[in-house]
Amino acid sequence: MTVISCALEKKRKLPPCRAACPADVNVQGYISLLQQGKFKEAVELIRKSMPFPAICGRICVSPCQDACSRKNSDQPVGIRYLKRLAADIEREQGRIKPDSILKKHGEKIAIVGAGPAGLSAAYELAKLGYPVTVFERMPEPGGMMRYGIPDYRLRKYVVANEIAYIQDLGVEIETGVEFGKDITLDTLRDKGYRAVFIATGAQLSSKLGIPGEDLHGVFHAVEFLRLVAQGKTVDIGEKVAVIGGGNSAIDAARTSLRLGAKEVTILYRRSRNEMPALPHEIEAAEEEGVKFHFLVAPKRIIGEGTRVKEIECLRMELGKPDASGRKRPVPIQGSEHTYTVDTVIPAISQVVETSCLPTVLLDERKETILADSLTLETKILGVFAGGDIATGPASVIEAIGAGKRVATSIDRFLNGQDLHAGREEETESVSWVKDWEKITKKPERYKAPQVDVGRQSVSFEEADRLLSQAKELATVEARRCLGCGPCSECLLNEGLCDADKAIVDETLCTGCNVCAVVCPFGAIKKNERGVAQVDDLSCKGCGICSARCPEKAIIMERFTDDQIRTDISYALKKEFA
Amino acid sequence: MMFKPKIIGFVCNWSQPTTLNSAGTGRIWGYPRIRFVRVMCIGRIDPVAVLETFAKGADGVLLIGCHPPDCHYVEGNLQTEYTVEILKKLIPLAGLEPERVKLLWYSPSEKQSFGQHVKDFYEQVKNFGPSPLRNEQPQSKLMLNILATKNVASDFRLRVLLGREKELTEGVNVYGEHIPKEELDATFDDIIREEFVRHMFYLLTKTKPFSVKELAETVGMKPAAVLRQIVNMRRRNMIILDHVEGTTPFYKALEVK
Repeated sequence: MTVISCALEKKRKLPPCRAACPADVNVQGYISLLQQGKFKEAVELIRKSMPFPAICGRICVSPCQDACSRKNSDQPVGIRYLKRLAADIEREQGRIKPDSILKKHGEKIAIVGAGPAGLSAAYELAKLGYPVTVFERMPEPGGMMRYGIPDYRLRKYVVANEIAYIQDLGVEIETGVEFGKDITLDTLRDKGYRAVFIATGAQLSSKLGIPGEDLHGVFHAVEFLRLVAQGKTVDIGEKVAVIGGGNSAIDAARTSLRLGAKEVTILYRRSRNEMPALPHEIEAAEEEGVKFHFLVAPKRIIGEGTRVKEIECLRMELGKPDASGRKRPVPIQGSEHTYTVDTVIPAISQVVETSCLPTVLLDERKETILADSLTLETKILGVFAGGDIATGPASVIEAIGAGKRVATSIDRFLNGQDLHAGREEETESVSWVKDWEKITKKPERYKAPQVDVGRQSVSFEEADRLLSQAKELATVEARRCLGCGPCSECLLNEGLCDADKAIVDETLCTGCNVCAVVCPFGAIKKNERGVAQVDDLSCKGCGICSARCPEKAIIMERFTDDQIRTDISYALKKEFA
Repeated sequence: MMFKPKIIGFVCNWSQPTTLNSAGTGRIWGYPRIRFVRVMCIGRIDPVAVLETFAKGADGVLLIGCHPPDCHYVEGNLQTEYTVEILKKLIPLAGLEPERVKLLWYSPSEKQSFGQHVKDFYEQVKNFGPSPLRNEQPQSKLMLNILATKNVASDFRLRVLLGREKELTEGVNVYGEHIPKEELDATFDDIIREEFVRHMFYLLTKTKPFSVKELAETVGMKPAAVLRQIVNMRRRNMIILDHVEGTTPFYKALEVK
């Protein structure tokens, strides 16, 4: 009952981590479950909001960690590592195969593109009971998760496992079907699909726009990573220059090392502080021996015959901040210098492949599809678009968020409801912590093991020990979470927190204020009538006020004194062995 | 037959599953004679509940909470320390060894030493022998003692101070004075001594009307001291005059519905 009252609040109060997540994943909820060592339940809870716990546990940009309250005291909770471990344990111990969901709706839905946005939309719609078909151009589903992120960061079997879960729910995935060639909006409509969600992503690398870009030995990052992911041999030579500072630049650099390059250099036109790549990825690349040259931009690529030989660059200096808030690099005249390289991998950005799309859908600049940011409607009725194709290149978690939003939109569209009504709910991130001085610093952080044990196989006993060690460390790390938000709505009240609440018997209360003193959350205050009043949202049901109330005026909803008394009697009466 | 103690362990909701799990899987200690009662936070346990557990015949009480920085309720578990301090003062009045209560902090990374602590406590309680309250009749002297301590623990005077102990000893009171821990301890001792006698009289007069002389004989106090308490108790509406035999007044407990 408490849970529902929280959810019905007009302005939803959320813990900072959940408020920061584009896919609205209940972070505080599953961290609480991990605190108790409930790994399977934690994964189930994540699956309630998105289908990719293991993938996000590896490659998510984790806005939740950036928002974590704990950072005011020491370091944020290692949310991503915890999620990864929980998902990995679930997978390795045998994923529970979900039952296919009964298709109670007749309207067929087509989703174009089996990337994170398309698959999470399919997942949500399948859970609602719609027959969903996902069309994918590549031979395997997964989109950028499979073809854009290198194997060392995200293993293919992890992606395959998570997609298999979605397929188990009854989603059909047709691979090798290209939008614009094999299917179009018209043919889909003729086949009886009532709604179409286009989520083909941003599949092309941006061009540098400098001379020599078409030379042999220039691979654009997305195409390069895709070729490697498909298992094709790419001749990159010994010296590789990667241009750009994002995650795909780091991916391309580290992949080049793995393909046998002797010297890999990243050329970035701003300084290290402005790099958009994840900090731990940059550190890992440095450890592996990737060199960084900052404040350098390419001017032209010089070839010898048809093959790349040198790259000529300009030095830059940082000027005033631009629209993105980062300092704009300004070239220094006459600072040309060259690097000898065999391969150049531009990894500056990605663009949407617009050639296969109907021009009606595109925005003025003909770069992305014009879609409503909340409902993801396009100009054509019944056609929705989201993910990178509408926003430009972004992260997996944002694509998942778009997939979730479109699922709601399509459901409303097919039922003839208003797509906008009540969607823009205000959220507010709350945290009860007032005084960070009082919070004990616990800076130790659990890190998911990056390397394998070193041997091909371990004995059952060893594996068991390693697993229990990992679980123990994870529990310790999860306990660093302060649970700073209100009710975490883990929806597993039974046995987790019992959603207990303090109730004040106003006829007994004498207004001595002891409860206000002992409450760790400041949830009880004396009101204007001089009696104690409990703030339902802040009360977490610990019952300390009830234990301390001199007049026994505070009773708990579930763990009443009588309940404890009965428990004691029962425990004493039980046959002692 | 060898004595096997009955021990009640209060476990907080957040350490309970890991406590029991890790100790079991670590094969440290099987908890053969301990029964667990779950509460949300170990701070939820007030002294009354522990005393009641003893009154019901338990030989030992274990309070298990998360390590102070790990508490799910920030500093809720610190309240338990005050609870245990008070209990150590109250339990001897009831004729039990204060070591029969133990507070243990549990952390999942310390299961080895935790198991050892539980084991030690078990052995200690075993050495004390069975609780004298185990098979007592409800009206016996010992039973009255423990019930009196229970009443002391639920008394307004003690609880209002207990709830503010952290505030008073760590900060300052409304007049800006800092109260040292020793001073507060002495106050607690005073309160407990006075209230224990009062509640003892209250429980005795509940059974039948008593004269001051009879009361003095029963508890072994000077009649003048007893009379002072009786006057005090009449003022607090705990006791009323029942009847007068000759010149001797007899008092009876005033039962509040």
